[in-house]
Amino acid sequence: MGRGARRATTAIILLALGAGSLPRGVRAQSDDLRRELEAMRKQLREMQEQIKKQQELIDKLSAQQKAPPAPSTAQAPTKTAEEKAADEERLRREITASIMRRVQPQLAAANKTFPSQFNPAIGLIIDTVGSYGSKTRGDFQFRAAELGLSASVDPFARGYAIITGSQDSFDVEEAAIVTTSLPYNLTVKGGRFFADFGRLSKFHDHDLPFVNRPIVLDRYVGGESQSDGVEVNYLVPMKQYLTLTGGWYNKMGADNDRVDNTVSRDLSQFTYLGRAATFFSLNDANSVDLGGSWAYTPEVKIDNGAMRNLVGVDLTYRYSPLAQASYRGLVWGTELLYNQEDRPVGGFPTTAAMAAATSLERGLGVPSMTTQTRSSPFALTDAPLTDPKPLVFKRRDATGLYTYLEARLSQRYYPGFLFDYAQDIDHVVGPTYAYSPYFTVWLSEFQRLRLQYTRLEQPGLHENEFFLQWTVVLGSHVHGFRDR
Amino acid sequence: MKRFVIATLMLTLLAPGVPAPADSKIKVVTTIPDLADMARHIGGDLVDVSSIATGVEDIHAVPMKPSFASLLNRADVLLLLGLEAEHAFLPALIEASKNPKIMRDAPGYVDCSTAVDVLDVPTRIDRALGDQHPMGNPHYNLDPVSMKQAASAIADGLGRNFPEHQEVFKKNLDAYVADLDQHIARWEKEAAPLKGKKIVSYHPDLIYFAERFGMEPFGTIEIRAGVPPTPSHIVELEESMRKNKVDIVVRELHYPAGLAETVAQATGAKLVELPAMVGGVPQAKDYISFVDYNLQTMLKAVQGS
Repeated sequence: MGRGARRATTAIILLALGAGSLPRGVRAQSDDLRRELEAMRKQLREMQEQIKKQQELIDKLSAQQKAPPAPSTAQAPTKTAEEKAADEERLRREITASIMRRVQPQLAAANKTFPSQFNPAIGLIIDTVGSYGSKTRGDFQFRAAELGLSASVDPFARGYAIITGSQDSFDVEEAAIVTTSLPYNLTVKGGRFFADFGRLSKFHDHDLPFVNRPIVLDRYVGGESQSDGVEVNYLVPMKQYLTLTGGWYNKMGADNDRVDNTVSRDLSQFTYLGRAATFFSLNDANSVDLGGSWAYTPEVKIDNGAMRNLVGVDLTYRYSPLAQASYRGLVWGTELLYNQEDRPVGGFPTTAAMAAATSLERGLGVPSMTTQTRSSPFALTDAPLTDPKPLVFKRRDATGLYTYLEARLSQRYYPGFLFDYAQDIDHVVGPTYAYSPYFTVWLSEFQRLRLQYTRLEQPGLHENEFFLQWTVVLGSHVHGFRDR
Repeated sequence: MKRFVIATLMLTLLAPGVPAPADSKIKVVTTIPDLADMARHIGGDLVDVSSIATGVEDIHAVPMKPSFASLLNRADVLLLLGLEAEHAFLPALIEASKNPKIMRDAPGYVDCSTAVDVLDVPTRIDRALGDQHPMGNPHYNLDPVSMKQAASAIADGLGRNFPEHQEVFKKNLDAYVADLDQHIARWEKEAAPLKGKKIVSYHPDLIYFAERFGMEPFGTIEIRAGVPPTPSHIVELEESMRKNKVDIVVRELHYPAGLAETVAQATGAKLVELPAMVGGVPQAKDYISFVDYNLQTMLKAVQGS
């Protein structure tokens, strides 16, 4: 094959590779794209055939030129070697140009579909729970259909969003931008996201190791640590793993209605967070994660403008034998929370607060508080007061914890036990205890069944509850670092 | 408010006060010890190589330890198998490492599968077919010829990041490949008795090995890749194995022992236990001894039957 023809072939191959590599990079997922690629391949095969034919023609022409000239009385002008080479090169260029003219429209047509290749990775999680309580009775709760989207924004950031539809609402749980190329081991996150407070408050409901969020996280954090704001994370550059986080948010807690998320506020009315987390590898199989978090709000309007401190310590011990990590293991996780704020003596006497508490607790699988004498800590700022007398506020300290132990007996079976303890923030009633053995069956990495029994010991309510949870993942699923 | 500002300042000031020790060597982190062994041969004295996995793990279930994020934070080059083999831990660790040098598509992110002739590329992507690897089966480290191709990707990757040492990497690669070629020729001769032998493995991770040495992969104990077996699947598999006279059941050492043993006993097949990476057994100290160990173990089973 001549040099020019080789160039033409190379050009076509490069075009083919170029066209082929794009979908490979983004993982062709749709049948349409596959069909298009097949069509492209067919066209390229046709082009190759054409090149082959053209090459044969070139070879034929070259052979004629090289053939000894026929005897002639008139001496034909003979071309120099340079002229012959120039002719050959010109011919090859013409052929290449001709082929490119034919290929270009097909490539352009294919390119029109490539913008869709920049669509984000999409995943959907369906989480449904059936429950029955001896006093609260039962129902099937469509707890959430959670749509997750994630993609790189540009070379400097990535973005993700978790949009959740539940029984009675549709909510953007998270929608955040995360930097990817800042120097000095820094990451900045902005938008709506789960603040880096503790461990399980950053987990979505379906990612929890048990059916319901621990009571202490519901009462003190307000469920998931959802926050609108900005967060800076720093990985300390040393062998020992240590990360430091600083956050600045409107408020913290998805179900925390004590602070309005939509109004402007003074700097003193934001919530500020600091967290340090480290990790100790005891040996190949045993390790400990340790973290400390502090959320500080200088001025909480509803609490008579007093400051609020929420401090947490989290400890997770893991036994994960390296050679058996997919089917043996043990996790012991504990979080201890301390809440300090000014609360009205006797709690907030509002009907709206009661309604909010009922709705919240039902959503989270905690029995209704309407039979209780105390109010919910999640009182609304604009709630109508039934008692016109001015409230008397007092500094209140409350402590709560959860601790759980989960074993991995096989690839499928994970039994565990959760213990909950939480003091009432208003100190109107005594503490709540809950004991929850549970059993998780992983049918595959993307489908899980869970059975849980909870014995709830709450002032005024002693309840036996049964839960059956069925959770599946469709589409894209990423093993995130925060979910570990 | 004052307290918060003080705390933030303290944290900020404290952090840079404990820098990691400086070292002039190129820091290479690999996902598996097989790549680490090759990187040591190709990089020679210029590189300081660490591996995330020790070799005894299931590559799809390596525990995601935060200490690996610190290790990756200091890496100049990351060498990985690719083809989503490390999907369970690597993407999250890379993100946590905050190291732009080894982010996906950065020059320091060296996916060795790009040089390998990939097998078992699915024609349909569907979770009903198990935990698929859309770009093909990633367990090519069990085949020495594929790993020879990976070695060239390592040399290219190191050279791309450190062009001033390109000649050294090339020279070391040539020497290593020459040595490996001699072993490959020997292994191919020794493997003659394996030709046509049918094997069932726990996970579809022996197809490159089987292809290289003329064996026939028959099925897996897992119902689909990554999906644990069900009793009915085992019954069907055993029936089918008996009918088709399957010779060998392979238990990769990171999978449970009991079931593979039961299947082998029920079907009259020979049970073979193999490591899936360098370091998976004490005898597999480096890549050549790893292939030696796997081949000799398989041969012993076949010749003993």
